[in-house]
Amino acid sequence: MAQVGKKYTNIIIFLILLVVAAFIIFPILVVLMNSVKGNLFISSTGAFKLPNEQSFVGFSNYVNGAERISFFSAFGYSLWITIASVAFILLLTSMLAWYITRVKGKVTSAIYYLLVFSMIVPFQMVMFTMSKFANMIHIDNPVGIIILYVGFGCGMSTFMFSGFIKSIPLALEEAAMIDGATPVKTFFSVVLPMLKSTAITIAILETMWVWNDYLMPYLVIGTEYRTIPVAIQYLRGGYGSVDMGSMMAMLVLAMIPVIVFYLFCQKYIIKGVLAGAVKG
Amino acid sequence: MKKALALMLIAFIVVSGAFAGGSKEDSGKTEIYFLNFKPEIADVYTDIVKPAFESAYPQYTLKVVTAASNQYQSTLRSELSKSAPPTIFQVNGPVGIAENVNTVAPLQDTDFYNLLADKGMALSLDGNVVAVPYAVEGYGIIYNDAIMRKYFALPDKAVDISSAEEITSFETLKAVVEDMTAHLDELGIRGVFASTSFMPGSEWRWTTHLVNPVLQAEFGDLATAQSAKTFEFKYSKNFQNIFDLYLNNSITPKGMIGSKADADSMAEFALGQVAMVQNGNWAAAQILGTQGNVVADEDIKFLPIYMDLEGEETKGINVGTENYLAFNKNASAEALEGADTFLTWLYSSPEGKEIVTNDLMFITPFSSFSSDEVPNDPLARQVNIWMNKDGVTSIPWVFNGIPSEQWKADFAQAMLEYINGNYTWDQVTATAQDAWAREAELTGR
Amino acid sequence: MEKALRKYFPLFALPALICFSLAFLIPMVWGFVLSFCEFATITDATFVGFQNYVRAFTVDNYFTQAFWFTLGFTIVTVISINILAFALALALTRNIPGTNAFRTIFFMPNLIGGIVLGWIWQVVLNGVLAGFEKTLLSDASYGFWGLVILMNWQNIGYMMVIYIAAIQNVPTDMLEAAAIDGANGRTTLFKIIIPSVMPSITICLFLTLTNGFKLYDQNLALTNGAPNHQTEMLALNIFNTFYSRVGFEGVGQAKAVIFTILVAAIALLQLVATRRKEVEN
Repeated sequence: MAQVGKKYTNIIIFLILLVVAAFIIFPILVVLMNSVKGNLFISSTGAFKLPNEQSFVGFSNYVNGAERISFFSAFGYSLWITIASVAFILLLTSMLAWYITRVKGKVTSAIYYLLVFSMIVPFQMVMFTMSKFANMIHIDNPVGIIILYVGFGCGMSTFMFSGFIKSIPLALEEAAMIDGATPVKTFFSVVLPMLKSTAITIAILETMWVWNDYLMPYLVIGTEYRTIPVAIQYLRGGYGSVDMGSMMAMLVLAMIPVIVFYLFCQKYIIKGVLAGAVKG
Repeated sequence: MKKALALMLIAFIVVSGAFAGGSKEDSGKTEIYFLNFKPEIADVYTDIVKPAFESAYPQYTLKVVTAASNQYQSTLRSELSKSAPPTIFQVNGPVGIAENVNTVAPLQDTDFYNLLADKGMALSLDGNVVAVPYAVEGYGIIYNDAIMRKYFALPDKAVDISSAEEITSFETLKAVVEDMTAHLDELGIRGVFASTSFMPGSEWRWTTHLVNPVLQAEFGDLATAQSAKTFEFKYSKNFQNIFDLYLNNSITPKGMIGSKADADSMAEFALGQVAMVQNGNWAAAQILGTQGNVVADEDIKFLPIYMDLEGEETKGINVGTENYLAFNKNASAEALEGADTFLTWLYSSPEGKEIVTNDLMFITPFSSFSSDEVPNDPLARQVNIWMNKDGVTSIPWVFNGIPSEQWKADFAQAMLEYINGNYTWDQVTATAQDAWAREAELTGR
Repeated sequence: MEKALRKYFPLFALPALICFSLAFLIPMVWGFVLSFCEFATITDATFVGFQNYVRAFTVDNYFTQAFWFTLGFTIVTVISINILAFALALALTRNIPGTNAFRTIFFMPNLIGGIVLGWIWQVVLNGVLAGFEKTLLSDASYGFWGLVILMNWQNIGYMMVIYIAAIQNVPTDMLEAAAIDGANGRTTLFKIIIPSVMPSITICLFLTLTNGFKLYDQNLALTNGAPNHQTEMLALNIFNTFYSRVGFEGVGQAKAVIFTILVAAIALLQLVATRRKEVEN
């Protein structure tokens, strides 16, 4: 009897889950559908109608939109900034974390607490001075902004790395040092390999942040070099008019890399998010 | 993982090398940085003006950056504080000068200023000419004469005039518009007026342009408006007259206007769905560029904006400019010389003038242009007709005296609340008054 | 080893610390100082004391309004996201067919950036409201609930993943013992599952709390504060104060300091809450 009851409950739950899944997917489908419709058929009441002979415009929204906001160069900037920032965050903060964990002292613990503090300060606190300062010292270009990402991403990443390093026994490192290895060699051949899974977690969290970040690239390099989020917001252009057709097409293009990345690295992403949430 | 890191490092070094190399200025060339205000012609500057100028004057490079809509002031301020600031920028009138007193360079000795036909149109600061207008514009109610002829041919029309040109007062305008709304099907339109666009960033047709006749009636001229500490909104009811007429006879119900941009309004006009839309000659490109445009060029005409102000039968459309160019005095002497060379070339050489009339489509205030060198679009021609019409005088642009962008934003929001039914018109009026007093004080009037 | 490593400071610690100083430390201290100054560019500031802090509240009431809006929004989203996410987590730990597919789908919106999300929902919500001849701008409450829906859509999957992991860690012997004792589903849920996943609940509460408080991109793309600043949240208000009004940079910076204190207070609260939990356990 109880078994039968459970079966029915499960069927009901399954149906509810289907509804929720539909709710999640629905907005994406709406955008996809509207991306092949003419401008005038998107706003207001036409949004949920399937494209028909009158409203279908093929891929012209994609062509126009990509041209208008130089989507592919925006994609290039986004890709470059994300990859380079994440690579440098991983390398530099793992080194920093190892140093401040293994060298005990007032200075290193002060550094540690400053980094933790930086994790809670909202970006609005520093956005104005940071963007002006970046211009003053000429790092307001797609290379210089990486320094800013490393600096701003430092907190969480060092925190997570040092949390992990604390848990690994000193013995291995000491053995290497006694064998005559320099700290550099010890770090790269003994410590770094052990950090692999933490590094993957951090890489995923930082990638999600940098790729989707809007304000920093907008303020620091936005007038000349637009990343994808900045370029999309820029479509709200020309005297307040929004070219909704191009907008829909560009939203689709912006989502494709994210969804592909997700489907391929799902396991790592969910693991990373989990680890990040629990530790952060 | 080590390999991956090494690869990334190499990639980084290569790319940074490319950037470092690219960011160095070509030796011997002077860069002129022009921060453009008009997004609708951004492509003309980069695709036509820039190559033409650079081949005429190879010693210069021209960098044109266009700010996103409604972002000009903030973009300008952030660009000006940078290490490579704009050489040429736009100010929208005396208010713009006041915001940039430490930046504007004297222009009285430039060739560009000398081109100006009426020297009185330039803006001054402490005895120096600091900004020169480059385009004169006119706006009013644009109507589709084909639809109007159809209406006046109706046997049961409620008015006794027989063409749109005979409309010379708010009373007649209202009678015609409301009767047209009663005959929508026969006229084959979906509303008399195009959408009263209120999508964020699209409110400027009401907060600046529509309010202009009211400001002019209250203050008289720009000089008075720009020093006014208070704004009584004496003609608030008149503004409401025309605003209500737009809203109640619109293609779009009130609740929906928040999703309409001005481009939507122009598209509705071009597709023949509406008979009238308030806008200026700069919108010609939007009408002509709409896919499926059904309005014949000769049917696109202007009507003054009537709102029952005294003596309005002798008033024409609103003609003026908010397009002034200023030079940045903190730029290098070579760049400033280049800026003068560039603008003089653009507005007086045969090649430059052709671009101005055909591609930028400006009606210019410069003596280097003869009366037949005006853009060939229907609205520019209409502006000329109205400026030279017997018995009417154009209304000058006084809205440049509005104390700040914030006033426009507050006024727009109050109008939106009125449309949504949350404000009475008196509350809109009060907001306009209060915001003016506050902003006037903040800007140090 | 410590000794050998100590002198490697320039190699191991300095590069990251230079970046950290340029991006964070210097701008942070500078920003704090500037909040007491009047300035247009960061180098020509004059000291004005607390004037900016006073003006943050007196010139207009948008900042206060933004605070209440943000607070209301945060409370609603913290509750709704956590309840829905927890419910989904329970449903997905019952061995229902398709569990993995559902989890994949539910988590996906989390990866899409705020700007893109905001525009997606603007189209959908305006499309729905158009049926009633309204738009997101017609009433502030539409913007409010629009943001709430958006935020739920984006965050439920994330919190759900955390809850699933926690529920899967509930010791099976406890559940079996409860089943033998004849406990019904309700009792099991409240007496066993919820108490054992309490640490995760704390984490999720604070994650949603800070996410809600610091929201910016979605707010910008969905409503941009319209109508009449009524849907403007704190972060957006600060941005607008900095960049859309001449002479208000100092006020913007003062608001940013207040905002920082608020966010830091939440973080501190979290620290205290987690500490106490650990002591209790």
